[in-house]
Amino acid sequence: MAYTPQYYPGNTSVGANRRKHMSGNLEKLRDIPEADVVAIMGHRAPGADYPSTHPPLKEMGEPDCPIRQLVEPTPGAAAGDRVRYSQFADSMYFAPSIPYWRSYWAAINCRGADPGTLSGRQIIEARERDIEAYTKKLMDSEMTDVARCSMRGCTVHGHSLRLEENGMMFDMLARTEMGADGNVYYVKDQVGIPLDKKINVGKPMSEDELKKRTTIFRYDNISFGGKVGARKFDEALEALHHMWELRTKWGFRPE
Amino acid sequence: MVTIKSDTESEPVQVEIFPSRFLSPETTQKLLNELYKSGGIVRMMIQGPNLPRTVTYGPGKGLPIEEHRNLLVEVGGEILELRVKVGRIRVELEGEEFLPGIQAACERALPFGFQIKRGKFFREISTISDYAKYGKDADKRILGLVDPRAKKESALAILSEKDSDEKEER
Repeated sequence: MAYTPQYYPGNTSVGANRRKHMSGNLEKLRDIPEADVVAIMGHRAPGADYPSTHPPLKEMGEPDCPIRQLVEPTPGAAAGDRVRYSQFADSMYFAPSIPYWRSYWAAINCRGADPGTLSGRQIIEARERDIEAYTKKLMDSEMTDVARCSMRGCTVHGHSLRLEENGMMFDMLARTEMGADGNVYYVKDQVGIPLDKKINVGKPMSEDELKKRTTIFRYDNISFGGKVGARKFDEALEALHHMWELRTKWGFRPE
Repeated sequence: MVTIKSDTESEPVQVEIFPSRFLSPETTQKLLNELYKSGGIVRMMIQGPNLPRTVTYGPGKGLPIEEHRNLLVEVGGEILELRVKVGRIRVELEGEEFLPGIQAACERALPFGFQIKRGKFFREISTISDYAKYGKDADKRILGLVDPRAKKESALAILSEKDSDEKEER
């Protein structure tokens, strides 16, 4: 019998969405051209050659190593690309993904990637052509809503701030804007350098859609626990409380 | 400038208006004018995250942020330049009788929810920074209105000089 990984327990929509994000079995909602993703990332001009830090692995003559024979290098590593990053901030107002789930997604589904979770933002580092492919996947999939998530390489705060009047997450550098046609446009790359042309990333999700797709437990949607909007604790919470109790009282020692 | 109040006059009250979303310059202007018209305002402070004129950090450091330039609002005939994304407004009123007017002004100007909290939001005692900035005999109504590092000239607007009708904004 083939092994099916079990990623996250729980019967709530949040639990189901968390399983989806971790498994990588995501719905594709939009198709942003690759050149546009590259332009927003801002590491190289779209269409330009990939700068490299070392010659392609095939030309380097690698040492005889069983692990190297076993593990196939990613396209970026094989070509000797630089390591580059993309970083996203997600609003606490029902953004589809949150930093930990972006990291789970990257760690489980992306080869040769180094995800890093911070309180309100999440960064993934990888070889340049690999990170471009991963970022496109992120931006095209249901892990991203164009109003509540945005690519921010620096000056990232916005996660825990109130939204703007038009429902966009606040951005100190004004990298994205809501067009008159209801679409969201990137006008600057992720570090705030103006783009040559505005990049249309599509329409934001409705509030109901966001609540359906979010991986955030919130008292005003699906609560994690507690007294306000309390729900029956599911398996995950039972397990968490159990661990907390054992750890607090006696030191957690699974044996 | 402290005016001596008679026994019949009510005590000043302080309130904080906390909208559920950040305000655009247009809504800010509308709200401030509604508040101004509702009367009884001694002083008012607007607060929120900074809107820098240039990129402050990273590879794009120093590049201008055109979106944040010339965000002008007109209140009581004065034109002010917004330097923050308005997230909360603190107001000192002459008395409790002006509270319903504040509530009504917010309902007229804000298309979304808001909270009004009553409390104490401005300090009365001069700090060392205040002493260094305003001197020994500073007008007590200025205390707590602007950031200690901000320049008084650019962060403070005096809308009326008439005794207790004096109104200030950041």
